[in-house]
Amino acid sequence: MRDTEIDEALAKAARVPREVPAELLTRIADTIEPAMQPVRVLPSTWVLIGGLVLISGAVALLGAARAGFQGVEALAIPARVLIFGTLALLTCVAAAQLVSEWIPGSPRRLTPAALLALVSLTLLGVFTLLFHDYRTEHFLTTGLACFSTGLLHAAPAALLGWWWLRRGWAMDTVSAGLTAGVLAGLAGMTVLELNCTDSQAPHVLVWHTLVVPASAAVGAVAGRLLRSL
Amino acid sequence: MDMDGNLEALMAAYQAGDFAAARSLINRLSPQLHRFLDAQSSNPADADDLLQEAWLRIHRARHTYRPEKPVLPWIYAIARRVRIDHYRRQGRTTRHEQSWEQLDDKMSASPEAPRGEELEALLAPLSESQREVLEMLKVAGMSLEEVARATSCSVGSVKQKVHRAYEKLRQTMSLPELTRSGSVQ
Repeated sequence: MRDTEIDEALAKAARVPREVPAELLTRIADTIEPAMQPVRVLPSTWVLIGGLVLISGAVALLGAARAGFQGVEALAIPARVLIFGTLALLTCVAAAQLVSEWIPGSPRRLTPAALLALVSLTLLGVFTLLFHDYRTEHFLTTGLACFSTGLLHAAPAALLGWWWLRRGWAMDTVSAGLTAGVLAGLAGMTVLELNCTDSQAPHVLVWHTLVVPASAAVGAVAGRLLRSL
Repeated sequence: MDMDGNLEALMAAYQAGDFAAARSLINRLSPQLHRFLDAQSSNPADADDLLQEAWLRIHRARHTYRPEKPVLPWIYAIARRVRIDHYRRQGRTTRHEQSWEQLDDKMSASPEAPRGEELEALLAPLSESQREVLEMLKVAGMSLEEVARATSCSVGSVKQKVHRAYEKLRQTMSLPELTRSGSVQ
């Protein structure tokens, strides 16, 4: 059997009309009618993405302004360019992905899990390339401090992002929450890169990078809670 | 407002608060949405409830439609979510979500008998993901790109699902007893 024959069979079958009870259509229209009013269309996708990137950048800069910019001062110029260039790029990708999650029928280039993997692996790659001090002094104490600082700054970034997209319509709150968590985690991580002076590879690879998946997990759990409401 | 106008114009008028446009959209799109929502439903009344739920969600989310963009991917994305949420509520989350979100050709055919309508009977051997893609392409007349948007996956993934669906249909439709019974021709 050829594809054209299958096409014909499907086209023929699809032509059989589906009857929907007229009273059902009337009931649907009657339900909608009292709430009919003009609505303001969402801003363009680029405005929404730009707003999210600005929010993430502002949270990171304000957080670092409060904690200090010692981390970036301790980095060589090429390392600064590589780290912050990568963070900026990943923030744009995560913001675009989040806007896609928030508007029905948007093109989705990555699944939330793929986005998380992309962000985590890229950052691990960059840090592996730049940090070669493999000592583990104060691994747990400084690590936990950095981890909590990162998550603490991810929270306002997530809340402000939620506020910015409040007129959107998250199709799947778990996916949207996870993606928002990745974006917020990147903001928290940017604070750490600006502020943290610990250049030990295990510290940066584990505790700095962990902020993103942890924030994503919190976002997914929040999305799940929202869905069950 | 011309009520025979294209869907995009009707949707723009609906956003502007034109109830006649909303009613026209409901009348024009409900039959195909009803068919889409009815797939694998164990209770025929479910499709009526799902259709109503889909239109309520469409109404609440109508500001997220972007004028000039195709309406169908936007509407089908919402309808698809209504269907997924329905299955989740019914406690069948794992089986159905896996079949929708992942490409799973190994999923067994629907154990439920088709309702005797030809399209449903033709698509019965397919998995959920294959069936919904074919319904959007062949019933709603959407493009591959539009189906990809509605199902939140890539065009390549849609093509692969179509390819596998056709393979399965080819096998099913080539069965002699089916051919004799006239369900193919």
